Amino acid sequence: MDKSMLGDLGSLPEEDQMRMSAMIDQIQIRDSLRMYNSLVEKCFTDCVDSFKRKSLDKQEETCIKRCAEKFLKHSMRVGMRFAELNQGAPTPD
Amino acid sequence: MATNNVANNIGKEQILEIAKSEMEYRVELFNRLTKICFDKCIEKRYKESELNMGENSCIDRCVSKYWQATNLVGQLLGSSRPPM
Repeated sequence: MDKSMLGDLGSLPEEDQMRMSAMIDQIQIRDSLRMYNSLVEKCFTDCVDSFKRKSLDKQEETCIKRCAEKFLKHSMRVGMRFAELNQGAPTPD
Repeated sequence: MATNNVANNIGKEQILEIAKSEMEYRVELFNRLTKICFDKCIEKRYKESELNMGENSCIDRCVSKYWQATNLVGQLLGSSRPPM
């Protein structure tokens, strides 16, 4: 989601464009923070199961890093496909 | 767009609200889609940080199917009368 959506509204007066732009910014910020929280929750849930010590061990650390990276790559791919479908482009089976 | 100035102002506020709801809906749709396809396609053991070919295909297909499901439900909701 980005400001290119504003292209549609280019004919609106500048004040309205600014309001739309500010609204998009707000939604984006909120979504980024939400994503941060849910990513931590997901990777912690999947990777950490024992509490014999208070520090993450090497295995847990590696797992969390991989989990986060994997999710971000996944999210990017989903974004690509989502954008294609939004534009009505035919996609391979 | 109405040519009357007062009607214009009311219209703008409403349009902004509708646009905001629409955008929030899209963000929510994307987030849920991402979560569900991750849960369905990615193994939880995280052997590596790259996506393999199988996962990539699964993701593409999952997104496509979810999109179709969204349209299906949308059609249903659009055509049925709200229950009284």
